[in-house]
Amino acid sequence: MASLLEVRNLQTSFSTASGVVRAVDGVSWDVREGETVALVGESGCGKSVSALSVMRLVAEPAGRIEGGQILFKGRDLLLLSDEEMRHVRGREIAMIFQEPMTSLNPVLTIGRQLTEGLEIHMKMAREPAQARAIELLGMVGIPDPARRLGQYPHHFSGGMRQRMMIAMALACNPSLILADEPTTALDVTIQAQILELLKDLSRRLGVAMLIITHNLGVVARYADRVNVMYAGRIIEQASAGDLYGDPQHPYTLGLLRSVPRLDEPRRAHLAPIEGQPPDLTRLPPGCAFAPRCAFRVERCAEAVPPLRSLGSAEHLTACWEAERLVNRAAA
Amino acid sequence: MLHYIIKRLLLMIPTLFGVAVLIFLLLRVVPGDVVEARYMSQGSQFTSQDLMNIERKKLGLDQPLWKQFTSWMGGVLRLDFGLSMWTGSPITEEIKLRFALSLQLAVMATVVATLLAIPLGILAAVKQDTWIDYAVRVFSIAGLAMPSFWLGILMILVMLIVFKWLPPMVFTPFWVDPWENLAQLIWPALAVGYRYSAVATRMMRSAMLEVLREDYIRTARAKGLWLKLILTRHAMKNAMLPVLTVIGLEFAFLMGGLVVTEQVFNLNGLGMLFVEAISQRDYTLTQALVLIVAAVFIFVNFATDIAYAWLDPRIRYR
Repeated sequence: MASLLEVRNLQTSFSTASGVVRAVDGVSWDVREGETVALVGESGCGKSVSALSVMRLVAEPAGRIEGGQILFKGRDLLLLSDEEMRHVRGREIAMIFQEPMTSLNPVLTIGRQLTEGLEIHMKMAREPAQARAIELLGMVGIPDPARRLGQYPHHFSGGMRQRMMIAMALACNPSLILADEPTTALDVTIQAQILELLKDLSRRLGVAMLIITHNLGVVARYADRVNVMYAGRIIEQASAGDLYGDPQHPYTLGLLRSVPRLDEPRRAHLAPIEGQPPDLTRLPPGCAFAPRCAFRVERCAEAVPPLRSLGSAEHLTACWEAERLVNRAAA
Repeated sequence: MLHYIIKRLLLMIPTLFGVAVLIFLLLRVVPGDVVEARYMSQGSQFTSQDLMNIERKKLGLDQPLWKQFTSWMGGVLRLDFGLSMWTGSPITEEIKLRFALSLQLAVMATVVATLLAIPLGILAAVKQDTWIDYAVRVFSIAGLAMPSFWLGILMILVMLIVFKWLPPMVFTPFWVDPWENLAQLIWPALAVGYRYSAVATRMMRSAMLEVLREDYIRTARAKGLWLKLILTRHAMKNAMLPVLTVIGLEFAFLMGGLVVTEQVFNLNGLGMLFVEAISQRDYTLTQALVLIVAAVFIFVNFATDIAYAWLDPRIRYR
């Protein structure tokens, strides 16, 4: 299947008081038509910045996209003019943010915030845009949608606001949705509802989706393919099934081990990853994970391991010692 | 909401009553009264006490305080502020035109300030740390640093020397001759409005900078809206609240606080009258002025609160 979005060697950095932070350092991934891809990692690993780079919404002037290509339907988004990019945002690629409490404008009605995209991108008049807004609110499961149009975000609960964000993202029938931690700020019970809704709608409408999350449970259940990020780089890339069944990077292995499982004996100890994520302003010359890694060898501190395949072209890992890890797991 | 408005309007009454009591007592605590002020100012230190007491009796100053207060309050309730102790003419007549002038000047200065402050503040925020931002900041700092009467003098001098023209120096009410009226008042409105705008511009800029960092602005950008729409629809309404407070306070201040500027432009507004009334110990006139300015203050605050609720739907008063 053809790539809808192909990110090649993306580099985004921020200048801060303590130096330049390479938040995204030469990252490549893609999303194919209609599929759901996950970007997984701890906070600060560069996953949100990757998505914001695709939208070209990295906060300037501190943040800057230094290089790479972002090919969307064959066009490099980084070469578009601001006006051309505006037509892509909301119309072709929509984004759902993490904080539904602060991501909606408190002084504008729900109706206003839903219809403005339709009016601008689809050139809809007021009446049809309102009708479409009612339809959208119905689609995301908000009861009594017609009455809701006149209400303000503070009348909505967190879950309803996130539904509203989803409705807003779907408004102009985009072909790709970037969901940046869409459920992190919500109650656990609501999280499942929102994810089911997203999955269901994306499947029904054929929208491709990039889910950014730190929750491996979410990945297992909703993603077709997974990119694991660490300190601004992708360290493992695989289908969801392969990642769980055959992790090829020590970090992925560590992440999987640190998740409590229902099918394990109750008293089993969790195995957290030792140490802290590295300071991005002072990255070691070699593999960024090396200081915390149990498979560390001398070479790890000297050179950054490239993404490579151990056989399957669809499963890549950035670890010098991947063979040792895989063999040990097999043994 | 209606309930709230009525409640606020009714609350004005006890507030004004408190102001009335306070100013009534304060004036009488200050040494000297209108009779002394008049005779002493004529240079005679040998005026007989008897004569002064006759004068006091005429003005009712010999009565006990509570009696003076109740008779004043009785008049105020009928919107009759009584006679000026200095000139003897009805205060309502004396104040009417001056109030109209001060109100018009305050409104015009507010319009000037708002028209300057909102676009400039937004521009500076959007172009933060560029030369445009610096230019706006220098412009507004200059407005803060320059007294408006001095700017007024400069304006008059420039008009006189460069254009060989002077604005009219006698007040014509707007309803008599709007052009003549505006030709006189536009200059003080500009001079006062500039300083006034400086505070508001800085407030608008910082409020806007804060709002532009909000998540919902990022959402609006992610929706592919035009910058202009993001600024006017999404950012401005949120950034207006603190600016509105500044505008409201400043407006109320202008009603009674423009003394020197009034002098520069030869305007007979409330500010000058205030100073005269106090220096002449004109109890009745001072009381009336304080009460009126207090009423304006309270009303402007009330109007600001209503505007808040209109701008921000999360604010609901009960």
